[in-house]
Amino acid sequence: MQAFQQFQHDMAQHLRDPHHTRRPVGVPQRRMAVYNELLFNNICGFVDSCFPVSRQQLGEARWRRLCRTFYRDWPLHTPWFREIPREFVRYLSEGRIAQPLPRWLPDLARYEWAELAVDVMAVTVPAHDAQGDMMQRPVLLNPARMDVVSLWPVHRIGAQWQPRQPQPTFLVVFRDAQLGVQFSEINAVTARLLALLETGLTGQQALAQLAHDMAHPDPPALQSFGEQLLVSLRAQGVLLGTLK
Amino acid sequence: MTKIDTSMRPVQGAGLGFRRELIGALQQGVPDDICFFEIAPENWAGMGGRSARDLRAFTERFPFVCHGLSLSLGGSGPLNEELVRRTRDFMREHGIGLFTEHLSWCADDRHLYDLLPLPMTEEAVRWTAERIARVQDMLGMRIGVENASTYIAPPGAEMTEPEFIRAVVEQADCLLHLDVNNLYVNSQNFGYNPHATLQQLPLERTCYVHVAGHYVEPDGLVIDTHGSAVIDPVWQLLQAAYRYIGREVPTCLERDFNIPDLQTLTHEVAHIGHLQREATGMDHRRTA
Repeated sequence: MQAFQQFQHDMAQHLRDPHHTRRPVGVPQRRMAVYNELLFNNICGFVDSCFPVSRQQLGEARWRRLCRTFYRDWPLHTPWFREIPREFVRYLSEGRIAQPLPRWLPDLARYEWAELAVDVMAVTVPAHDAQGDMMQRPVLLNPARMDVVSLWPVHRIGAQWQPRQPQPTFLVVFRDAQLGVQFSEINAVTARLLALLETGLTGQQALAQLAHDMAHPDPPALQSFGEQLLVSLRAQGVLLGTLK
Repeated sequence: MTKIDTSMRPVQGAGLGFRRELIGALQQGVPDDICFFEIAPENWAGMGGRSARDLRAFTERFPFVCHGLSLSLGGSGPLNEELVRRTRDFMREHGIGLFTEHLSWCADDRHLYDLLPLPMTEEAVRWTAERIARVQDMLGMRIGVENASTYIAPPGAEMTEPEFIRAVVEQADCLLHLDVNNLYVNSQNFGYNPHATLQQLPLERTCYVHVAGHYVEPDGLVIDTHGSAVIDPVWQLLQAAYRYIGREVPTCLERDFNIPDLQTLTHEVAHIGHLQREATGMDHRRTA
């Protein structure tokens, strides 16, 4: 390590963990405090703006502590500022966090992040027929979409309500034709249907597979119900039509 | 997506930092005083959706400059070549012909997400110049490197700030992106005369200029916030810079916090244009 890099190393260590590391040699306290404040405020700005509900749920002191350990402990390699919230979601799910947190917090954060992620997601939409027969042709799912699957009804969490019992929840977050972000709650069967369609099946094939998996007593009825469901999902913008 | 051919529209005159907060107002009409826009590739490259659509509508009509934030030219970790490649692709996609970055560092093996000062040593000069040269090879063009604002003087300095800047840009054979507000901020925080220092900078290499406002803490420490109006001493530095440079240099107003309405910002951009016309007699306003 070259001499100037020793300084960089000491400065970086101190910026990440100012309470447990020494200030770099030769740096006055007042001036170092400016950097500590600027850099921590900066990272908090990126995190705060994406997770207003999570922040409100934890309260300011616990939220700030979480931001601090995120900045200190998580390997932040991305140079893209919009990916900092994604890293925060990963930290909540995969990081070693000493602070006790609500069990649903990682999923709530993932749900909050999905809105930003879908808003700016760069996608290529394959050639498709928006009016195609979805029962007979492979169905195209909206590629500007994230599926949020959780044991908790994260979309209902707010100032007045937190879940006490798990309740499997399936949410589709997607971009509509006007490029706005939409949220749709679906049930387990619809989630399974979308997963089958994503493998390239036609509506009919996917519904037949679904009837088989569920040991459905009346597969033709499921076909007819499923067709209406596909049409409704297309009207919402979760499905875009049939692949060409 | 079709690439935008901008061979007929060089970046010149006075510009403004392009921000999402301003898009609505700019969609109503771009004031004639604004000749170009500046964006950070880290905030815009690789995006889809509304942001991509909105940006495209402006890059099709106006020249843009890319001003990087995350490349960590003086950083100790490996140069992020993926970031350079994606910046290059983004610039091609939008027909952007100028890239500048800061003479600073913001990452070791992990990112810190803000600009930090470099010890002004021979080793740091060599290290940073090599990385700049590598970026220039990858982009296939010379880049501008900006004098950064700092609040500390890292220990072990073997030269003054203008000497350090000159050594880096000459070794890297890159261009100078002169930020007159940063020059002013440092002169206040370290107690020197900004006009004397300005003359010592390698101004003959200037490709681009920044001007911005800052914040003064109660104890007098000046913080480079880009959050208020440009003050007179900084305008005077800009005027002096134009005099020393002696030729036309595109200049951008940066405003990143407490963003006022477009009209207020346009007044400041117009003042840049006024000083440019005064210095060189050239008028780049779109109605001119």
